[in-house]
Amino acid sequence: MKDFPRLIARFAVENEDNFEVITVYDHKIQREFLDKNSPVLNSISSIYTTATWFERKMRDDFGIKIAGTYDNRPLIHHERFPAIYPMRKEFQEQEVSFSQYSPYKYETVKGEGVFEVPVGPIHAGIIEPGHFQFSQEGERMLHLEVRHFYTYRAIEKSLEGIKLLDSREIIEKISGNESIAYQSALFNIIIQASSIKYDDKLKKYHCLLLEIERIIHHLTDIGFIPNDAGFGAALSFASQLSEDTRVFLKKISGHRFGFGSIEFETKEYDANMIENFLNTLEEKVKWFENWIMDIPSLWDRFDTTGTLNKKKARKYGVVGVVARASGKKVDSRDNDFYKKYGFILQNESVGDVGSRFKLRIKEIYNSIEMIRNFIDEALHVEQPKSFKDGEYMSFVESSIGELFMFVKLKDGLIERFYARDPSFINWQALYLMMEKDIIADFPLINKSCDLSYAGSDL
Amino acid sequence: MIKFWKKRLQNPISTKNLEFNDELKEIKKELKSVIAKRFAGSLAIRMVSSGSCNACEAECNALSNPYYDLERLGIHFVASPRHADAMLLSGVVSINMYHHVLDAYHQMPQPAHIITLGDCPLLEGTFKQNFAIKGAKSLNLPISHHIQGCPPEPKEIIKGLLEFIKNPKDF
Repeated sequence: MKDFPRLIARFAVENEDNFEVITVYDHKIQREFLDKNSPVLNSISSIYTTATWFERKMRDDFGIKIAGTYDNRPLIHHERFPAIYPMRKEFQEQEVSFSQYSPYKYETVKGEGVFEVPVGPIHAGIIEPGHFQFSQEGERMLHLEVRHFYTYRAIEKSLEGIKLLDSREIIEKISGNESIAYQSALFNIIIQASSIKYDDKLKKYHCLLLEIERIIHHLTDIGFIPNDAGFGAALSFASQLSEDTRVFLKKISGHRFGFGSIEFETKEYDANMIENFLNTLEEKVKWFENWIMDIPSLWDRFDTTGTLNKKKARKYGVVGVVARASGKKVDSRDNDFYKKYGFILQNESVGDVGSRFKLRIKEIYNSIEMIRNFIDEALHVEQPKSFKDGEYMSFVESSIGELFMFVKLKDGLIERFYARDPSFINWQALYLMMEKDIIADFPLINKSCDLSYAGSDL
Repeated sequence: MIKFWKKRLQNPISTKNLEFNDELKEIKKELKSVIAKRFAGSLAIRMVSSGSCNACEAECNALSNPYYDLERLGIHFVASPRHADAMLLSGVVSINMYHHVLDAYHQMPQPAHIITLGDCPLLEGTFKQNFAIKGAKSLNLPISHHIQGCPPEPKEIIKGLLEFIKNPKDF
């Protein structure tokens, strides 16, 4: 396959006399300028399938017409969503009324004996809302359409016009499981915009918290994945570990999810306490791994289920755990700073549920190792007073994958905020994993990817 | 599996003695008749997220870990609103979830209760009303109890649920 740049994000910014569409690839940034009166954008979805959601989102947000696309359906505008383009500067309503119900046409497979199974938006478990539409041939899944944006809270719009330092309170609550990652991404932008030096001690503290967040996420998953294959004992064990780690995070950061913890100062913490905790945790995870690896009936479910091969993973530009489990070496932590503190890029090759499960365990060990190296003394840095106007971008590896954030500052206030959650890309590749499996495997496959709904919905 | 049972027998019961455990014993006696009368022996909850950040859901999932073990109190989460006595509503009630929350509520057998979870539904926290955020009050449904916090910790959720059982009122 021809090697082509990976698509990271594609979004629009409203300027005074045009719409600017910024497309971020891994090695270049492209800008297109559209006429404000009749904005038309040429689609790139025939080359990049994952551009589809970005483009549909732009159409719903700004009313930009997309030329040459195969998908003209709305993304955020659900059945009763009023006909508004909320991201346009002229839109300032605080309250809108619902419009007439207009049905959404799902992407389905037709044929004799083929039937559809709609699931959601409210699911049977304790999870976020989202919709999955299956086309079934008996038990076999022929196709799956993922339809989200039920938790759309207009985060981008509500951040416009506020001060950079005041935006943290909202940004940390975009996705609870990735709160520290979102805060870190924002902090990177604050550093860039204020041109203060990112002190190594402070950076180490922030990375330490980010790794704890990752461990919690992985521990939760290594419990829930076997649970979805009918092995509840694993969940009981792993959920104890994740609770222990959450309590540990609270001890260090002051909050169970690390809300408000990425700041200009580090909290005082006891290095011995951390060391002891990590030793016990490592020992328990090792025991867990040893136990789970030995249960053949479980691996019968894990192996070859929900496979995403490397070729497709590359074509769709997936990120994070899903990408690394398929053998694609992509990790935002793959840099000199992290390597100095013991980062080793973990990956698997097959890309099935088993690979993602094993990868998570490997990453827990590596994160434990890094946290040991990140321990340092407390520090306080002066908070910056002013910020330079301009455009800033940052990348952080959240527990799900690469998180991209964009902020444009104008007169010291946020002019445009955009964040692309790793899930936004990975959700679009989820259907690829269903090809050879039956519908009963879906919860297992979905959980093995463990994507965020709120993060991608914004 | 032998490995597991060996380990299991070595470890003590891990359910935490929460600060209100003594109080709990008292409440339990008191509750017996209330639960028997109102909720046919146990309280069934349907969790509905209407646009939260997933932290509230994570804490609710934590309720079933061995430390908190909510089911020992006779409170359990069910898979359908049709099986539920109460809806635990988290999130801001977004524009796209509004009608689905109403649908879920109307599927519940009467008398149905709504317990709001976290600061989001009543818009007490970070998220304020805007064109996409409706808030639970806009549903015009009776709210029987509120558990505050962002997110409320598992023990606060347990405490809140017990308070609700003791005194379910509309406000």
